[in-house]
Amino acid sequence: MSVLASALKQEIPAFQADDDTCPQCKSERYLNRPMKLLVGPCYHKMCEQCVSQRFDAGPAPCPVCERILRKAEFYQQIFEDLTVENEVRIRKRMAMTFNKRQEDFKQLKDYNDYLEMVEDITLKLLYDDDTDEAEYMIERYRRENTSIIERNQSKLLRDETIQRLAFDQEQQRKLQQREEHLRLLAEEQREKTDIKNSLITALATSNMDAKDIVKAKMVQLKKSSLSARNSLRSARFNIDDMLADMDDDDELDEDEANNAPFDPAESPYEPVNIKLLDRYDDPKNTAFRQGGLTAAGVTREMHQRYLIEGALAGLFVSPLEEDAASSEEQ
Amino acid sequence: MADRPQLFEQTSQYQHWRFTRESLSKLRTENNRLGVDRVLHGLRQEAKVDDQETSDTRIAEATKNLLTPEEELKLIDFYLQRIKIYVTIYRASKLLKPDALDNVKATAINFMKRFYLHNVVFDYPPKNIMLTCFYLATKVENAFMKIEDFIRPLADAEAKRGSKTQTKSDDVLGLEFIVIQSLQFELAVHHPYRAVYGFYLDMQTFIDEKDALRETYDRTAHYIDKSLYTDLVFHYQPSQIALGAFKLAAKEKDLDIDLYLTQRFDARSLELLYRVLDEIQDGITTFAATSNDEAKEIDRKLILCRNPEKNPNSTLYKKTVAVQGDVPYVSDSDSD
Repeated sequence: MSVLASALKQEIPAFQADDDTCPQCKSERYLNRPMKLLVGPCYHKMCEQCVSQRFDAGPAPCPVCERILRKAEFYQQIFEDLTVENEVRIRKRMAMTFNKRQEDFKQLKDYNDYLEMVEDITLKLLYDDDTDEAEYMIERYRRENTSIIERNQSKLLRDETIQRLAFDQEQQRKLQQREEHLRLLAEEQREKTDIKNSLITALATSNMDAKDIVKAKMVQLKKSSLSARNSLRSARFNIDDMLADMDDDDELDEDEANNAPFDPAESPYEPVNIKLLDRYDDPKNTAFRQGGLTAAGVTREMHQRYLIEGALAGLFVSPLEEDAASSEEQ
Repeated sequence: MADRPQLFEQTSQYQHWRFTRESLSKLRTENNRLGVDRVLHGLRQEAKVDDQETSDTRIAEATKNLLTPEEELKLIDFYLQRIKIYVTIYRASKLLKPDALDNVKATAINFMKRFYLHNVVFDYPPKNIMLTCFYLATKVENAFMKIEDFIRPLADAEAKRGSKTQTKSDDVLGLEFIVIQSLQFELAVHHPYRAVYGFYLDMQTFIDEKDALRETYDRTAHYIDKSLYTDLVFHYQPSQIALGAFKLAAKEKDLDIDLYLTQRFDARSLELLYRVLDEIQDGITTFAATSNDEAKEIDRKLILCRNPEKNPNSTLYKKTVAVQGDVPYVSDSDSD
């Protein structure tokens, strides 16, 4: 997800300054607190009232640059600097159309070329340089790639849903964990006071030696805090589990984006596709057959896969030809 | 996913020990030429420190008996065959585990073949190089034995023959560094044995005649053993040699493994594979080992044309040692 999109999602408050003045009606924020300054596509400001006055009846020219504008095109400013605002809008618009991902390309070079093309168009729009051509290119691209654009948009939507879901689940689990912890603490406290109370009553009513009674109760007290500590420890384990789960979730999300992180356990080599039979006549691997000692973690299947990989490795490599030989000899 | 490299492409065998037929023969001819130059240069050096007259006759004799590249190859091949015999000796005395035999043998043979791509028999006679390669191979293939254990059967055999010389542990260990250096410190060798077993397993998916398949597999060892002595290992992948051996064995046992190939692989890759397999089968079947007499003849010639700089029995060598005071290790197999 792009920074822009996430920024917009979190509803960053619109930019406001105390000395804002509407250039049309000259009303000031100082006098009119709730005044909303809107910005149109030509980046000239106007307050909300002026906009509705001017554009309620339909498209009308901007009072400053006379460009024809509509009411729907006005929106609230987020960034103080209007050039930033402009760039953000253009990039957002580009991202809607040019939403191909690296996975859509066979080679990294193609992807990079695509990115460069997008950036070229963006810059044209940004610097008002040949805008017509840029618009034409966008339109052509949109027509040619409608299906891909739609597919990627739905993918983006799915990614976001998954992210939100994972976030919610995590929050919920944290909450549960906290409740559990508090409950345990309260229980321990209650048990302690119970024992203390019973100690006092025992001292008051029983005929036994006071020393013995105190001793017995102390043992009980220790035990109860011990059991509480044990359950606390199990709660701690749960937290560990949760952390591990969270990691898993992250990985899943990354996979969804086909942006898998570096995994040292993953083979850097081209995997070989092998379908193993359930049973092989496997005369040499007596260790597996007799259930004897094997290296840690090695299974019969792994070993058979290893052997078959050996059989297929380099099977279709053609021998070196003469013209390659001259370099080989050096 | 972007193209990931294949695992076998990373092996030193794939990267550094593949040659064309032409480059291989060019390499050997060139080595032979340089070796001959070194021999003559050494003899002339020797003439300076030795009796002039005997030196002259020695130079004349050596020039007459210089080995051609083909003769070198035949001599090396003879000693390669001896490795097979040694393996059985060590197996009989239970020094080698049975499941390590194939690999030790194949690795030793391969080391020796690689060694003589960069060296000539004038400098290092094959007899001791063979022992060093063998001992090195036991270590590389995880079938290590003590050097005393390694030497004992050899010494016993020599005593039985009543040979004048006795192999000492220094004869084996002294050359070890030279050998490893010539192997460019690349000691991992991949053999067809693993691949052929993999094929045996994989073929069970497609071929129903289980007994015939098993018989064929048992027979492949014979052809793989034969392929070890050829230059096929410098041209083809272990898996290809394994499949070639499988085809030969299948022909003998009347089993149709094309059924497996056509079902397992697509037609376009098979086109290349069949060509490669034909070449491998040719290579295996046309191989002929050097006969004893032939080897003896070449060995006799070699005594006359050894490089005196590396021959511990030569006057030049003794002189150099006396001057420098330290002993550069060289192999002593002259007097055999």
